[in-house]
Amino acid sequence: MALKAYEKLKHAIRYWLLRKLPTCQQTVEKISQSMERKLTLRERIDVKLHLWICAWCQWYLEHLQIIRETARAKGAESSDLESVSPSLSADARERIRRKLAGES
Amino acid sequence: MSQAQLNPDAPSPDPGRWLDEHGDYLFKYASFRLRDDNAAEDAVQETFLAALKAYEKFEGRGSERTWLVGILKHKIIDHIRKAQREAPIGEDVDEGPDHGEFFERTDQWTGHWDANHAPTDWHATPAELIERSDFWVVFNDCLSPLPQRTASAFTLREVDGLKSEEICEILSISVNNLWVMLHRARLHLRNCLEMNWFKR
Repeated sequence: MALKAYEKLKHAIRYWLLRKLPTCQQTVEKISQSMERKLTLRERIDVKLHLWICAWCQWYLEHLQIIRETARAKGAESSDLESVSPSLSADARERIRRKLAGES
Repeated sequence: MSQAQLNPDAPSPDPGRWLDEHGDYLFKYASFRLRDDNAAEDAVQETFLAALKAYEKFEGRGSERTWLVGILKHKIIDHIRKAQREAPIGEDVDEGPDHGEFFERTDQWTGHWDANHAPTDWHATPAELIERSDFWVVFNDCLSPLPQRTASAFTLREVDGLKSEEICEILSISVNNLWVMLHRARLHLRNCLEMNWFKR
């Protein structure tokens, strides 16, 4: 019985917060900016509270972090680039070879 | 007597071998960033030409590939700098899509995720994704519809990890414009990856 009342209260608080806080559309813009600059205290509190009640925006933040980490690892110089694009075409290779032969 | 005879051990540049050993790698490196085969081929050619001229400075110190990639990075940025001068900024900022359709527009939930666009669990880690060759095909396809300057901003930031100030200087944009572009690029790319990779 007490558990049920607690769940109800939690739901009511979440619902109230969802209506009071910046929307998902406003929050994802702040999430993106948090990867570029330090958010103000007010912005950080709003984002934190929003994330507490919104699983979707939690996924959003996680996905942006996955994208950044994955892209930077692929961009690292030692990374294997075999799959990112086709190879240098035979035509282009020949054109560059001729150009270099003319210059050296 | 020529220089070479005086010092037979001095290495001489061998651009034919550079092309064989590093041509493909440099092309992929440039193509991943420029998403334009012709521009990537030009950048590779310019890199080898610049390397020939600057060969004394290299003198066999360090890895040849690292040296060539260092030159290529500058050629790629030169290309981005030149290309952005020719494209109007409107499509990146004012007239560009803000992806408002990802969010509810009608009832009391205005501004919250629309059911068809709300993020879901990807069940993936960067370490797994890096190894999946088909992921990079989808990744590149998803970046291609972005306005040119927005795609460049995204690549310079998320692939190369450049600082905001450097990117703003290269693209001649304000930091506020950069944030708008990165935000839109992320909204679009995240959704596109989810639709075309994670949900298939």
